[in-house]
Order: sequence, then structure tokens, then C-alpha cells
Amino acid sequence: MSRIEAKTDVFRAIADPTRRALLDRLRAGPANAGTLAADFRSSRPAVSKHLRVLREARLVVDTRIGRERVYAVNPVPLQSVAGWLEGYRAFWQVSLTRLKRNLEEK
Amino acid sequence: MSEIKTHARAVADVIDGLIVASVEIARTPERVFQALSSREIVDWWVNPGVFDTREWSGDVRVGGRWHASGIARGAAYSLEGEFLEVDPPRKLVQTWHRQGTPGAPSTLTYMLEPIAGGTRLTVRHAGIAAPDQRNNMSAGWRTSCDRLSEILPNRKG
Repeated sequence: MSRIEAKTDVFRAIADPTRRALLDRLRAGPANAGTLAADFRSSRPAVSKHLRVLREARLVVDTRIGRERVYAVNPVPLQSVAGWLEGYRAFWQVSLTRLKRNLEEK
Repeated sequence: MSEIKTHARAVADVIDGLIVASVEIARTPERVFQALSSREIVDWWVNPGVFDTREWSGDVRVGGRWHASGIARGAAYSLEGEFLEVDPPRKLVQTWHRQGTPGAPSTLTYMLEPIAGGTRLTVRHAGIAAPDQRNNMSAGWRTSCDRLSEILPNRKG
């Protein structure tokens, strides 16, 4: 898989609000599919499907503990997404600082 | 003016494609609102050598359009959008689209609140999609969203 395809997978994975919510939930700590299904009042197959997309994008990693798969967030792929967002973050930080200085000097 | 903080802060939420930034300014909300909604923008959408806004025009009313252009790292850029909410001196909401890039526009919300000695300005820039056309990331994002909305018509968000 090329680097570009991997990135696109990350975007596809986080384009869905349910998957974003799952990632937010997993930020709080690892969980298995059953726990996540209960937390989201969703069916286990539906949650498993989302987890598979997240796993394929390498946004989550799973570890087998006995008969259970436990899922945890893997932040590394998000760093490529963070690159382009950083331009916007810097834009606002710099612009607002300049706005403050301009207005307070006058 | 000791209550007024000296620096602007900005944070990114990568998962949601969101920037939230804020600054406290020792001027009235009315004065700050004017700087957000006039050609005065060319004085502060500026970071020498990185981006430099040269032109701004806008029809500041709901449904009115705005347009900005400038130079970023040697290349010309052009931004445009529509005002969605105009509520001086409290709130201004507008769409934001960089011309020549695919994908839905992002949404820029300015919130102004009076504080002791001035105004707290909060900026929320939401729904920022990847701008890079060369590797087609934005197109991929949009196609994926379309496909997901077909596959998952009943997902609650």
C-alpha cells in the first residue's frame, strides 16, 4: 500500500461520525467490541464493522487477550492528517496575535 | 487591563478537522467586530513570508459573499465564501473555500464576548478538508463521505 493510499484510508476512516466517536471513546482507554457496542447502544456486528475500518487505517490496534480482542487507539496515522491542519492552526494563532497588536496600538 | 491575556492560543482537533483559537483584546466588541468584517482584514491575515492577504471585499449580511486574495509562500491564493450569520457585535459565521480546491467549504465562526477591560474573541474553524490536490486526498475524502452516506443511511451521528 502506498503512503498516499494509507492517508486516504485515514480520511475515509475519520469521515464517519460514529467512527470518530469510537476513537474518542478509545482515547479514554482500551475496550473490547462488546463494551463499545454497549456504550454506543449499537449492535456488535455494526461496531465490529467500524472497528475493522479503523484497524485497516491503522487508527486502532487490537490485542487478543484470551477469547477477547481489545482495541486501543494508535495515534501515528493521525500525525499525517495533523500536518495540513497545522497550517490552519498557525494561521489563526499568528493572525489573532497580529489583530490584537494592531487594535491595541491604535 | 491586567485581566487581559497577552497571547493568542490556537489548538487543532485532528479527528474533526477543527481549529479553535482565542485571543483577548483591550478593545470593545464593536471595535473588534469591525476588524473582522471589513477590509481591515488585510492588516491582520498576515504572517510575513508565509501568507499575506492583499485584498478583501465582502457584502456583510446573511447570504452576502466575501472574497480575499493574497500570496502564500510565493503562490497566489484566493479565498471566498458566504456569510451565514451576522450578529454584530456578538457573532459572525461564514463559509470558507479556497478557490481551485475540491471538497465542501469549511465554516468559520467568530464569537465575541465582553470581558473586564475588553473582548474575548473565539474563532472556530470547522470542517477543514485536506487541501492537497496532487495526491487527490480531498477528492478521496469526499468520495468516501458520499459512499459512506449510501452504505450507512441510518447511522446516528
